[in-house]
Amino acid sequence: MKAVLTSTLAVLAMLLGWEALVRGKAVSADLLAPPTAVLEALLRHPEILLDQGISTARETALGFLLACLIGAAMGAALSSAAPLRRVAMPWVLALQIVPKMALAPLFVVWLGVGAPCRLAFAVFIAFFPVLIGTTAGLAGTDSGALRLCRVLGAGWWQTVLRVRLPYAVPQLLAGMKTAATMALLGVVIGEFVTAQQGLGYVVMFAASLGETALVLAAITLLCGIGVALYGVVLLAEWAFARWYSAPMPAGEFG
Amino acid sequence: MPEAPTLIAEAIRFDAVGKTFPTRPVPLRAVESVSFAVRRGEFLAILGPSGCGKSTLLMMAAGLETPTEGRLERGGVELVGPHRQTGVMFQDATLLPWLSVLDNVLFPATIRRIPRAQVLEAAMRLIETVGLKGFEGARPHELSGGMRQRAAICRALVLDPDLILMDEPFSALDAITRDEMGDVLLDLWQHTQKSAIFVTHSIREAVLLADRVLVMSRRPATVAEELVVPFPRPRTPALADSAEFAAVVAHLRGVIARNMA
Ligand SMILES: Nc1ncnc2c1ncn2[C@@H]1O[C@H](COP(=O)(O)OP(=O)(O)OP(=O)(O)O)[C@@H](O)[C@H]1O
Ligand SMILES: [Mg+2]
Repeated sequence: MKAVLTSTLAVLAMLLGWEALVRGKAVSADLLAPPTAVLEALLRHPEILLDQGISTARETALGFLLACLIGAAMGAALSSAAPLRRVAMPWVLALQIVPKMALAPLFVVWLGVGAPCRLAFAVFIAFFPVLIGTTAGLAGTDSGALRLCRVLGAGWWQTVLRVRLPYAVPQLLAGMKTAATMALLGVVIGEFVTAQQGLGYVVMFAASLGETALVLAAITLLCGIGVALYGVVLLAEWAFARWYSAPMPAGEFG
Repeated sequence: MPEAPTLIAEAIRFDAVGKTFPTRPVPLRAVESVSFAVRRGEFLAILGPSGCGKSTLLMMAAGLETPTEGRLERGGVELVGPHRQTGVMFQDATLLPWLSVLDNVLFPATIRRIPRAQVLEAAMRLIETVGLKGFEGARPHELSGGMRQRAAICRALVLDPDLILMDEPFSALDAITRDEMGDVLLDLWQHTQKSAIFVTHSIREAVLLADRVLVMSRRPATVAEELVVPFPRPRTPALADSAEFAAVVAHLRGVIARNMA
């Protein structure tokens, strides 16, 4: 509680300092709009910002979900089949070395300037941490626990649900946290290159007009979306921790 | 499957069992022509030099490794995989960290889909016997090494197996806790009719707990010597302080030393 109070006060102090710097003409208001101007910009164009914000939020959430599904599925497939791993891993890793932002224009060529392009790009840059989290998690299962399963005659599904998954989930969630920020980044870059809609587009457009207050207003909303998505993953993490440390009745998964 | 447990006096029988691992460049011969049997209710300890193949032997008894030669019989039937009536304990407790002590103890029931209510009483009794009462709800990370191993004992016994296999279950513990665990096991054994194979490096543990001790040769493991422990049951931990006990221990130490030479 005390920590929360301290950090809130620190943020308030920083905002006040920022405001004072601009008001005191230490920094030009054209280069860096003061917090009050940002707030005013937020309130001046609520419907535009809200519309664009919803578009960005929707695409980010969808991109994140797809990235998690694809990353987890690929990770599970790669860890269950060694031959597949040998064939696919070099490609997956090579793809990581490519500066992915540089590929964004290609996605426009392939998928046009609509939502599919932004979504695909978000998935493209966000699935990898989930994949790594999944493979690392599944590989990290305690070998003694697996041996215990074999001794007890546990079936494949039982082993996965009772032992492999619980061991993998913390790493999977860590991957998902990174994926949450990456998905947002992917959508914003997609909005930059497609230049059709979304807060990223607002940022670009407003910046070209020198409207720093509007730029910062859009960025504030972007932060809100990022925090919300990250918060969802944190919530999942918390729920998982609670569920798995609660006594599990026998035969629950069948 | 022909099962006539009452007629068969042997819980498990090794018949000229051998195991060669297909390692490269040369295959590794870990176990060679081992024959012995554990009678129902008998506690058998296995001593032997490090790396000689004791764990391999036990893994085969657990059905986790298949012999490359010979045959294993469990209750008169050829053993082909993990057996439902066998409890196993390894060197480390391998408790699942997200489960409470009680849930870890009940884990075998969970896997076998046995209703919790059916084994809860047995679990609680075991937990009390090993001295973990009051820690049923604790997580493994809240326990000491010895307490974790106690929980692992309960887990191995909770479904009331007739044979229990233990591979150096206390070797990860400090000497004092280790002796204490030996006493816990001794106490548990006074009231059961279970058979056991107990692999250990501790001569004291072997003599205190076992009815019979096998001393293995160096790799590939074969049975080098066999010793029937001459102390009647019930035994108490105090036995370990007697002169007779010390004499048997000294004798075994000599046997082992001769084997290593
Ligand atoms: N899966 C395996 N593949 C290849 N070699 C193995 C395998 N398991 C065991 N071995 C080898 O078999 C030999 C016997 O190993 P084992 O673990 O049975 O010895 P041990 O008597 O239990 O030793 P310790 O007392 O140190 O536990 C060792 O040389 C070991 O390297
Ligand atoms: Mg061993």
